[in-house]
Amino acid sequence: MNVGAGALDTRALPVPSHIALFHRGEAELRDHALAFLKEGFDRPNEALFCFGEPSVGERLLRTLEESVGRDLSPEYRAGRIVVGQADPDVDRQLDNVIGPLEGFRASGFTLIRFVGIVAWDVPTFPPPEDFLWFESKLNELISDFRVIALCPYDVAHMPARAIAYGGLETHPLVVSGGVLRENPQFIAPDRYLRERLLRLPWLQGETSA
Amino acid sequence: MANGELGYAAVDLQRGAIAILDPDGNVTWADETWATEENETGLPGVPIGANLLDAYRSRGETIAQTIANAIVAVFDGRATYFEIEHRPNGENGSAVVTSVAALRGNRASAVVIHRGVGVRPAITARTPDVRPRSGELIGNAIERLTPRERQVLDFMAAGLDNRAIAAKLRIQYTTVRGHVRAVIEKLGARSRLEAVARAYQSGWVAKQ
Repeated sequence: MNVGAGALDTRALPVPSHIALFHRGEAELRDHALAFLKEGFDRPNEALFCFGEPSVGERLLRTLEESVGRDLSPEYRAGRIVVGQADPDVDRQLDNVIGPLEGFRASGFTLIRFVGIVAWDVPTFPPPEDFLWFESKLNELISDFRVIALCPYDVAHMPARAIAYGGLETHPLVVSGGVLRENPQFIAPDRYLRERLLRLPWLQGETSA
Repeated sequence: MANGELGYAAVDLQRGAIAILDPDGNVTWADETWATEENETGLPGVPIGANLLDAYRSRGETIAQTIANAIVAVFDGRATYFEIEHRPNGENGSAVVTSVAALRGNRASAVVIHRGVGVRPAITARTPDVRPRSGELIGNAIERLTPRERQVLDFMAAGLDNRAIAAKLRIQYTTVRGHVRAVIEKLGARSRLEAVARAYQSGWVAKQ
């Protein structure tokens, strides 16, 4: 499916979905993520969830406001839009994702559009190995929710390990070069711990991630 | 490869570069350094958008031909991806390719189907398995865990998150959080997964 610079065709996606979006730089991220969120914004029965490092989610929300041309505080106060924050503690980060998803579900939204901006080996994010566990775990944990989770990976700035182990091995679907594809590199969560996480080079004595 | 499938991953993990090829062999995106280090001795720089296979076939060096062969193996469906290993080349700041391997499978459980040696033999095998270690670096850390913390560690090693552990042990979620933090701290790990890895490597948690 060619998604170009526009929105993903969510009607063609399974729900739930966990998708890695490979993009180059901010402009491409805005094209895809904003279009994805804006499409949901135009449908009142859908909820929007912007997630990332401190201030990143807020920035995404501000950009969305510019895109729709008005203040989104009413939707924010009503709980239709949530800005979530990453946490160096992976357990807290899981809580910061699952908690709002439960809230959306209780409010009866028919679809949750989640955009989680990925960071790698920074102090405000879980350590890389914990983040990979988190990404893999999400596949199990979102199974009870009507959510499409989009995880942008900036291939122009992130190290190969983040792309290879995270983007490619923990997402059943990827958008690469503007095309949505099934991902043959995906490793199911029940295998990922033993087949990947316990073999991570930097947990074998290598020092840098 | 069937039309429309995800392109092939050419990974150079040591250097931190990755390129994904479309079904025609064109680089659809790549790490900036991969694309721009044309003059780096021994390393295959290919501009974004260039045809990787053509680029290597046109070069006369043995290593370029080996890379081309690896790409062909991927295109023919005999390999899933290929990896390039290299190391710094002494004083002049350049690098030498030590091996090119075409592999089948994913990066967690790949089989080498062809390996070509570069300028120098590869020094290490690729991704090692989880090896039991003596635990000397951690001392008797496991003995400092309480029986409940050991139970929690077993569940962590099975991949369970805190909510699932709380449900298994029928205790409060916040209590599990406290146990997990204690396990990480007592094992001297920086993260949840590092604690789990140490538990496996030291033989504290049996491989299933």
